[in-house]
Amino acid sequence: MSGTHPPADAAWTTRLWLAVVGVLAVGGLLAFLAVPLVQGGSIGLDTYTAICRGLGILPGTPARVTPASHAAAQPVTQVAWTTETLAELANADPARGAKVAEERCVACHAPDGSSAAPNIPRMAGQSYFAIYKQLHDFQSGARVSDIMSPQVEGLDDKAMADVAVYYGGLQRGDSDLQNPPAVGPEIENLVINGDVRRGLPPCTACHGTRAGGPVEVPTLADQHADYIEAQLQAFATGERRNDIYHRMRSVASRLTPHEMHLLAIYYAGVR
Amino acid sequence: MPRSPSLILAHLWLAFLVFAGAAALGAWQMWVRSPLHAPYSSPETYFISVTTHGSSMAYVMATFFIMGFGYYVAETALEQPLPGRIWAWAGFFLGLVGSAMALGTAIAGRATVLYTFYPPLTGSPAYYLGLVLVVVASWIWCVLMIVAMARWKRAHPGRAVPLAQFATVANAIMWLWTTVGVAAELLFLVLPVALGWTETIDAGLARTLFSWTLHAIVYFWLLPAYTAFYTMAPQAAGGRLFSDMMGRLSFALFLIYSVPIGIHHLLMDPEHSTGFKYLQSFMTGLVTVPTLLTVFTIAASFEIAGRLRGGTGRLGWLRTLPWDRPMVLATGLSFLMLWFGGLGGLINMSYGTNAMVHNTSWVTAHFHLIFGGTVVIMYFAIAYEIWPRLTGRATPSTVWQRRQLWLWFIGMMVTTLPWHWLGLYGQWRRVAHFDYADPVIAWWAPWVTVSFVGGLILLASAVIFVLNLASFHQSAAAHAPEFVPGPERYAISLHPVGRVPSVLNGFTTWNLVLLVLMLLAYGWPVAQFVVTPSPGAVAHRVFEQAVR
Repeated sequence: MSGTHPPADAAWTTRLWLAVVGVLAVGGLLAFLAVPLVQGGSIGLDTYTAICRGLGILPGTPARVTPASHAAAQPVTQVAWTTETLAELANADPARGAKVAEERCVACHAPDGSSAAPNIPRMAGQSYFAIYKQLHDFQSGARVSDIMSPQVEGLDDKAMADVAVYYGGLQRGDSDLQNPPAVGPEIENLVINGDVRRGLPPCTACHGTRAGGPVEVPTLADQHADYIEAQLQAFATGERRNDIYHRMRSVASRLTPHEMHLLAIYYAGVR
Repeated sequence: MPRSPSLILAHLWLAFLVFAGAAALGAWQMWVRSPLHAPYSSPETYFISVTTHGSSMAYVMATFFIMGFGYYVAETALEQPLPGRIWAWAGFFLGLVGSAMALGTAIAGRATVLYTFYPPLTGSPAYYLGLVLVVVASWIWCVLMIVAMARWKRAHPGRAVPLAQFATVANAIMWLWTTVGVAAELLFLVLPVALGWTETIDAGLARTLFSWTLHAIVYFWLLPAYTAFYTMAPQAAGGRLFSDMMGRLSFALFLIYSVPIGIHHLLMDPEHSTGFKYLQSFMTGLVTVPTLLTVFTIAASFEIAGRLRGGTGRLGWLRTLPWDRPMVLATGLSFLMLWFGGLGGLINMSYGTNAMVHNTSWVTAHFHLIFGGTVVIMYFAIAYEIWPRLTGRATPSTVWQRRQLWLWFIGMMVTTLPWHWLGLYGQWRRVAHFDYADPVIAWWAPWVTVSFVGGLILLASAVIFVLNLASFHQSAAAHAPEFVPGPERYAISLHPVGRVPSVLNGFTTWNLVLLVLMLLAYGWPVAQFVVTPSPGAVAHRVFEQAVR
């Protein structure tokens, strides 16, 4: 570095600028071109969007306008899985439940719990924890329905538990979807593995055949496809919001409408 | 001999007394977090203590040390009187008032916002105003350092500015660039909220402006240590500086690559795009260049010294180095801590690995190892080196100086290695207590206790350090009354420094480079908040709670 002839000042300055600009160019190309294109490509972004997101002039996730709400805050649910609640369900009386169902439910849900209308969920064989929670939520206003909300008026906890175990104890027959179409490996992969990139857990993490999910998780197998799809859409828009910790709202809001449709068909066809 | 010993001593004593108090707070904080029952423990007292500890160490101790040491270098390396000594004293008293305001407010529990502020948390305005005064005091110092170098250059045309002063001015210029971020944050965002003029704050913009300061401030603390590596350690080891030019290049590279990279502190924040995070992380990686240049140059300088003292073979020179000299010992220990802390830093600046250690005690461990370890141990060594010339008294004995340095090294390792380990397991930082009854984290308890023991060792070392310095001032300590300290001898370069390229003898070009880098790295990340303003975050005034 210290030869007999000190390097000319101008040469030093030129080299300095070349080095800095060169390094900056490499960093800039990686930051704003290479990484956005490679990463954006893997999630299906076009070149323009990927680069704009890298620069921060387009939002990184599609912005959703939160609709203004003038409604009073309502709790997600009033149900807590205390030992008392669990004991009430364990000691519930299906015979009494059948009587209550006869008065209030069978017109729509059918005596065998398998309504034919695609927009009315099948109750037979449903988890009685799930039925109990939904009845309770309709009553507390955590879940709102023009039809269901009036039906649960005046029911006490015990009656709701009785109805839940009555319908839960019925055998669920096959759904009207006799020959479910194949939904493709991508949807099956979503069910089994989820999608880490979108922060989507697998459906089976909760709606699996084994224990591990939250207590109130409903059984989806053989449910009407139309009903499942409608609920996914309601969760995605926030119209339905009685899921504890936003679980379903967060999942559904990351699904595309097409995925919701296929997932509904998938579960309707599960035996 | 420096011509203004009382000015320099005033700065350094203030720095070290505040340091000793803050070390005691640090040890108590580890006690609180450990499973052992600490006195006065409550979340409120804990956050009072953390804020006071951080503000004392980061703002008061470091700033006053750097100012004092800078004045020493300007007078001894340039061998000319300090310009504007009255301004220097004015800066000292301004900083003193500011420190008292900031620390007093923190101790009173009216600013439990931690030294990094975290808006919309808002403390009492007195806390922020005090810190502004400290920063203004340091700006006076910056100007004096630049003026001193300019005068010297005028008086010595064509000659290379002594490396120690070149390094000090590099630090002063970097600090001027650095403090723009925090000054803008405090003056335009935080203080209006603290004073009650506005009710909301743009937290994203505030964090961005603080990130501008947050990384370079560490280099502000670090460069005096590097100055000692280049200009004092080779001399103390009895050798030559391997390359003066390498030193100049390193300090200039630190100047341009320590400021436009702060967004790597915001990798997990949502307000910036991946492109700018990537670009700034990329440039953060370039800081390793001057770091490794320094490690190479100082190792080579030490090898020269070791071989001059009879060391042979590939590593035999390490054995023959005079490790009994505090400056040599401190440099060795500092390098060891730089190794651990630097590797940890590479993990923090990388997007993927940072995600794993984000907000865990790993980060706390990293910056304690770098600042508390690598940097502060060199502050001790510098103090031991220059105190005889400041007081005119001989070193009574270096035994306790060496014991103190070893204790600091051991204490810092014992404190921070468990933090690193637990951080990998997700131990969160910035909390007052851990619930060891939770079986998931019960196994942390013994490790936190180990860190507490480390904190006690550090406290012991801090107390010994202050006593060691005080012993210089006792008349009995000067056992050689005829002792006349020689002038400060900065390390001589292996190759005589004749003329150096003007780029390495001044900062005009480097300032231009830094301006370009800052515009590219921070232009849009800051401008985006003006183009699309964020919704304001509602202020949470902690001092209003405290009086309720």
